[in-house]
Amino acid sequence: MTRLLEYLVPGIADGSIYAICALGLVLTYKTSGVFNFAHGALAAAAAYAFYQFRNRNHLPWPVAAILALIIVGLIGGLLLERLAGWLSSAPPVTLVVATVGLLVFLQSLATAVYGASNIDDFRPFLPQSGFHVGHVTVSGSDMIIAALALGTAVGLYYFFQRARLGVSMTAVVDDPNLLSLQGVNPANVRRIAWILGATFAGISGELLAPELGVSVNDLILLVITAYGAAAIGLFDSLPLTFLGGLLIGVAVDVLPAYLPSSNVTLQSLPRNIPFLILFAVLVFVPARKFTERGMRNVRRLKPIRQYSLTVMGPAMSLAAVGLIVLPFVINRARVDQYSAALGYAVIFASLGLITWTSGQISLCHLAFAAIGASTMGHSLSAGVPWIFALLFAGLIGIPAGAIVAIPANRLSGVYVAVATFGFGILIQQIFYPTFLMFGVLNNIAVPRPHVLGIGFTGDRAYYYLCLIVTALACASILVVLRSRLGRLLRALSNSPVALDAHGANTNLIRVVVFCFSAFLAAIGGALLAGVPQSASGATGGQFDFTVSLVFVAILAFCGRRPLISPFIAAFLYEVIKIYPFFDNETVLKYQGVAFGLLAIMVAVAPGIQAGRLATSRRSSERDRSPVTQRLDDRRLGPIQPSALALGPPVYRSGRSPSNGSLSNGSSSNGAGVRPLGSKTGRQL
Amino acid sequence: MTVDLDIQQITVRFGGIVAVNDASLHAEGGTITGLIGPNGAGKTTLFNVCSGRVRPTQGTVTLGGQKLDGHSSANRAHRGLGRTFQRMELFENMTVRENVRTGPEALFSSNRFYGLFICSRKEGREIRDRADEAIERCGITQLASQTVGDLSTGQRRLVELARAMATPFKFLLLDEPSSGLDHSETGQFGQVLLDFVSDTGTGILLIEHDMSLVAEVCALIFVLDFGRMIYTGTTSDALVSPVVKAAYLGEVAVAGA
Repeated sequence: MTRLLEYLVPGIADGSIYAICALGLVLTYKTSGVFNFAHGALAAAAAYAFYQFRNRNHLPWPVAAILALIIVGLIGGLLLERLAGWLSSAPPVTLVVATVGLLVFLQSLATAVYGASNIDDFRPFLPQSGFHVGHVTVSGSDMIIAALALGTAVGLYYFFQRARLGVSMTAVVDDPNLLSLQGVNPANVRRIAWILGATFAGISGELLAPELGVSVNDLILLVITAYGAAAIGLFDSLPLTFLGGLLIGVAVDVLPAYLPSSNVTLQSLPRNIPFLILFAVLVFVPARKFTERGMRNVRRLKPIRQYSLTVMGPAMSLAAVGLIVLPFVINRARVDQYSAALGYAVIFASLGLITWTSGQISLCHLAFAAIGASTMGHSLSAGVPWIFALLFAGLIGIPAGAIVAIPANRLSGVYVAVATFGFGILIQQIFYPTFLMFGVLNNIAVPRPHVLGIGFTGDRAYYYLCLIVTALACASILVVLRSRLGRLLRALSNSPVALDAHGANTNLIRVVVFCFSAFLAAIGGALLAGVPQSASGATGGQFDFTVSLVFVAILAFCGRRPLISPFIAAFLYEVIKIYPFFDNETVLKYQGVAFGLLAIMVAVAPGIQAGRLATSRRSSERDRSPVTQRLDDRRLGPIQPSALALGPPVYRSGRSPSNGSLSNGSSSNGAGVRPLGSKTGRQL
Repeated sequence: MTVDLDIQQITVRFGGIVAVNDASLHAEGGTITGLIGPNGAGKTTLFNVCSGRVRPTQGTVTLGGQKLDGHSSANRAHRGLGRTFQRMELFENMTVRENVRTGPEALFSSNRFYGLFICSRKEGREIRDRADEAIERCGITQLASQTVGDLSTGQRRLVELARAMATPFKFLLLDEPSSGLDHSETGQFGQVLLDFVSDTGTGILLIEHDMSLVAEVCALIFVLDFGRMIYTGTTSDALVSPVVKAAYLGEVAVAGA
């Protein structure tokens, strides 16, 4: 009993912190439809700011804590609201790219400024003394934390149930136009929600800091625990989210004491409970229990410009010739870097395939690559010929892809990303160090081959081998895009509903393309491992889950071309750092910062542009809100503002709601109601 | 062989709102049946129930004697039920021809387990022929190589109709197919539907606000108001029926008439 209490007390305290963090996440998701993957990074940012003010600037801790919260919660929250505003009608892929970009940005920034290692000279700031229950100390800090969390949860619950603003908050994501007709400014509602959400993240980061030390990776990882809690609340219910947080905190702290301490795999299990829960919820809970937020009036991605064969043919041949002569042009010592880049290009291509064709985003592609690399190592050491080993590595990727894709595709959009995020971490934490993958030493040999009697052990020879495999991978992507599957994928990205209504099995299409992508990623990983002739699953290594996130960010700003973009991305990621200007310490340190920032910019650019263009494309039917649609259907004449009796909608800062039909119909109404550009009167 | 669509005692509740209340309808194959009613009457909801997008609280939908309840949208399409959408669902970045071809292609793709990957020569020919025929039927041949996103609302309606017509469905649900067409287009539109039905034997259930079109093509119409089926009969009878007038214009108007 005492033993249980001993773990239960800190468990409740930890659980309370997770609960606060999860409440912030659910709050912002509910009100903006943006699932903030950077929520954990916000917590880390607050912890670093707190550390900066307290330990480096020697401010008293309450001042430091509040300053940090102002920066992260208030300023960060306002910036995030702006970001979410620009993303308000973006497709799910773009939403994920934006917040993943933010995560990469914050994480790289923290690492660049404060170093990757844990800062552990961070003393507890809350009172440690308390009372005793038997032998167990319940410290003041435990009690304060628990009370804070409970207060937050109860307050929020009543806020959403009773307060007008709370009710507005749930309304704002579904139909901001309707809300603005009621005289509530949707932008203000969103602002408050984001400030609260970011502040909660900040508080949880500050509370965790003394316990964990200030380390960006640990904080991001631990605050991802909040996702598990949010999953228990089905990303919607605040009370359940709170309970989920407590439950996870207790389970993580109490379970290790009851599991055999000799078994390393079992001991690592409790730490992964959040991911297991997240995964279990996404697998087993019926799809209709999930509310997809903010999926109305989604703007589609602009089609990429197609070049004719007369342009593409010569360009492609030129590129191919360039890649073939490359090893004899460049310094021999750099050939390896290019071989690795080819491996990365295959991974990028596989990621691009699902991202831009079927609108799924994978945040665990490096896990598939790791599976490929380790399978390659095992097969080669078992004496399997290289070609078969490579094929086998790819084939193992397929069931791995199916494990994530099948449950995730029951749900849609953002949940696929959430599931892959959890899956990537789970694989890394549980399977990387086992005999199945990299072994206890987290390292496996992947020698270069002799194929058909020819040795490919030299740098140039291995480069050509990689080039052949990469070319085959590219060809297979082209074949898929040209086949029926490719045509259906294009249709799917435009209108899944129509495809469904004409009898295509849309879920199967998504799963199939995801598995194909995992197959290619695994092959890319296997190629990659042959460069240093070994593969390692170490934290922070080449197959770390954070690299998957960086990949998504890089691919986002390299364009959406199926073949060219991956090569550009691979070059930026792997090769550019060996060349002058890019090879110095500072540029390397801030590389991730730039990647993250560029990804965010690419994600919000269409939103900003659409804001400028205002109404020029609003008259098209699918952009109209249900209200205007119905008004229109009744074939009413021009609407006088007095007929609405609710007063004119309040449009602020040039961001009018996503339609202009109302005011288009009533060109005679008062000033300020007509959105910019309605003068053009362009009707489709 | 024609196939009838039978809707029995469908009720749909969204939270506290009863969108469709115990509505029944029988539409005969090989004919065009009208479904009219004021806005918010539950017409599109009824369509969504038929095509499997909304799960009814109770009631059954039968197509040619086969129960459709509990099947997915895609499954219902395979059983022969096609539809168009009030808020059009088109493949915006594709050309008109590609859009129309994707209809039958989508259906064939899940006929066999390898259908997603391999398109046999015979199937390819059938898809092309069906698409060409439907495009011509709808009179959009001159638009065939244009991107759908650039077309007018009326033209887009025709593309969606052509896509449904190209797909080998046995019964079509058309949701306001003529809205957005200009006057002359609407005039020809009725004939397009009538020709299609008599040529292929496909049944059509039509939601429509244009009464002259309804009068031209529908043998029988059903009138839905506040989720209830309030009237069944021939079009000419319906237009003079006091019940229908009341539903559209309100009680006062009837009293004054």
